[in-house]
Amino acid sequence: MPSENILEVINLKKYFKVSKGVIKAVDDISFTVKYGETFGLVGESGSGKSTTGHVVVGLYAPTSGKILYEGIDMSMGVERRPLNLKKKIQMVFQDPATSLNPKRTIKQIIELPLKVHGISHGDASQKVAELLQMVELPVEYMDRYPTELGGGERQMVAIARALAVNPSFIILDEPTSALDVSIQAKIINMLMRFQKEFDLSYLFITHNLSLMRNVASRVAIMYLGKIAELAPTEEFFYNPLHPYTKMLLSSIPVITDEEEAMKPKKVISTGEIPGALNVPPGCSFHPRCPERLEICDKVDPCMLEISPGHFVRCHLYNSMKV
Amino acid sequence: MSNTLLNVEELHVHFKVYGGILKVLNDVALKVNEKEKVGLIGESGCGKTTTMRAIMRILPWNAIVPKAKIYFKGKNIMKMSDSELKKLRRGSISMIFQDPTAALNPVFKIRDQLFDIVRYTNLEVGKNLSKKETEEEAVRLLREAALPEPERILDSYPFQLSGGMRQRVCIAMALASAHDLLIADEPGTSLDVTIEDQILRLLKQIVEEKRTSIILISHALGAVKGFVDRVYVMYAGCIVESASTSDVFREPLHPYTKGLLAAVPKLTGGGVPEGIKGRVPDYMNPPIGCRFVTRCEYAMPICERKQPRMINAGNNHEVACFLYGE
Repeated sequence: MPSENILEVINLKKYFKVSKGVIKAVDDISFTVKYGETFGLVGESGSGKSTTGHVVVGLYAPTSGKILYEGIDMSMGVERRPLNLKKKIQMVFQDPATSLNPKRTIKQIIELPLKVHGISHGDASQKVAELLQMVELPVEYMDRYPTELGGGERQMVAIARALAVNPSFIILDEPTSALDVSIQAKIINMLMRFQKEFDLSYLFITHNLSLMRNVASRVAIMYLGKIAELAPTEEFFYNPLHPYTKMLLSSIPVITDEEEAMKPKKVISTGEIPGALNVPPGCSFHPRCPERLEICDKVDPCMLEISPGHFVRCHLYNSMKV
Repeated sequence: MSNTLLNVEELHVHFKVYGGILKVLNDVALKVNEKEKVGLIGESGCGKTTTMRAIMRILPWNAIVPKAKIYFKGKNIMKMSDSELKKLRRGSISMIFQDPTAALNPVFKIRDQLFDIVRYTNLEVGKNLSKKETEEEAVRLLREAALPEPERILDSYPFQLSGGMRQRVCIAMALASAHDLLIADEPGTSLDVTIEDQILRLLKQIVEEKRTSIILISHALGAVKGFVDRVYVMYAGCIVESASTSDVFREPLHPYTKGLLAAVPKLTGGGVPEGIKGRVPDYMNPPIGCRFVTRCEYAMPICERKQPRMINAGNNHEVACFLYGE
């Protein structure tokens, strides 16, 4: 029976050596992405969510652990990955101002992946025009430079570039964080449409929980390189278990009374996110945790499945394991 | 009836750039009463920060101010001499900037930066503090900004502190001189959600305790909603709507405000809403009439010809839109 998972990440670790020690950017995380779903990865800055995305796309080789794409092991850096695998996995970066080469025209930018993967030889104007139309940009933009475009339009170009090679898996690393809300809505809707049209699976990385609520089917929350909680979206927002999830949810500024009513009460945000070099012992969240137990600063909790598909890494639920 | 502290009328600001003149602020008017918490919302590039810089008279060199009336406690800021301005900035108005990393000097310890501010603001009111008194005052300010171990903070360089701590230091600095009005320009935007929440709660508590007025600028609508009494909505250099916070969020009138509120994804789900179509007008050649006309779904012929004025739609809810009369 073929697996329902397009991507499996198993015990993935990515450490960086720096002069003062080792930064454990991603520390032993596991998750799967199913065919056609949007898997959300949330967390604050420095939680390792972008690093996870970069390792999956192959920008870094993992320190240890496995990444399986359709069952094929691709736990190596991008330079050793077969070309046909690279084609399947594309990425859209956060800031289109830096992810598009300012000295190339839009046509040259979108053309490059087509050439690399041998999809079109010679003049690719036709294909580039089609791609631009697909992301609802005027075809005349072909000869313009990224700086002549607005932020939202640039991000559309980045999306067109990712779609150029007919990928089946796209990593969206904060695709709308650098943009205004009115433009964000348009881009997200477009991405959701493409997902249906081309059967895409997304790994959606963002710090914006309200956005995540509306796009993802399952959500994992990261804190200091580890996944704290993983659950289907509804579960995650209506029945958050991990104290960090509760704190994050109660901190989101919202604009309607209905939203205010669903925020967890009385979990006031305190403390600072520790630096990645001195991660607290035991559960890394314990210095900020309002429900801390005695065991928390000594033993790092394990991932527990509380209800089907709802995982949490917290000592509070040790007795509730199913 | 409370007294007006700051009254801005007919504020126009242009910028000279290569290739022409950007007509950014267009007839901006806003009012802040004593002890009032006012919010200014709008998307990037709509002129929120420019408005505040005009009030502080710290616009960049290429700015032109063809017309402006900015009254602070009845005195026109535009006509103030350098020494009067110095007095204003040292004793009355202070600003917290978006990026605390850029607002602090990286090569001086917090002690040196904070001491200067404490010393000069006190000199302004005729108090010549000794070194010990200055230190006591600095420690008190840092405590007020909820920083643990203020003595250690004083001896740190900015890079030794986290983003949230740096912003707290900036708040402490602003508190030293903001006796009447505090301008907070996106104070939490460069920080993480949980830390932003802490900073905003701290700011709110401080201004309520000290009975200072505050202008909170933000593009995060939710952050503004939980904080201020009254909101101004800005679009492309114009104030388009002004009302009490609850009115703006419950019953927005201007088509832009409606579109903006609808575009925010909701925590309660329901899918991602449609955004506002089109893009912000070019400041080089802005539309003659309403600046929102090209993106507005209710646009009428008059909108292209004439600039809408602010009209009162009842209950002090003001809106600049022809849909509600001329």
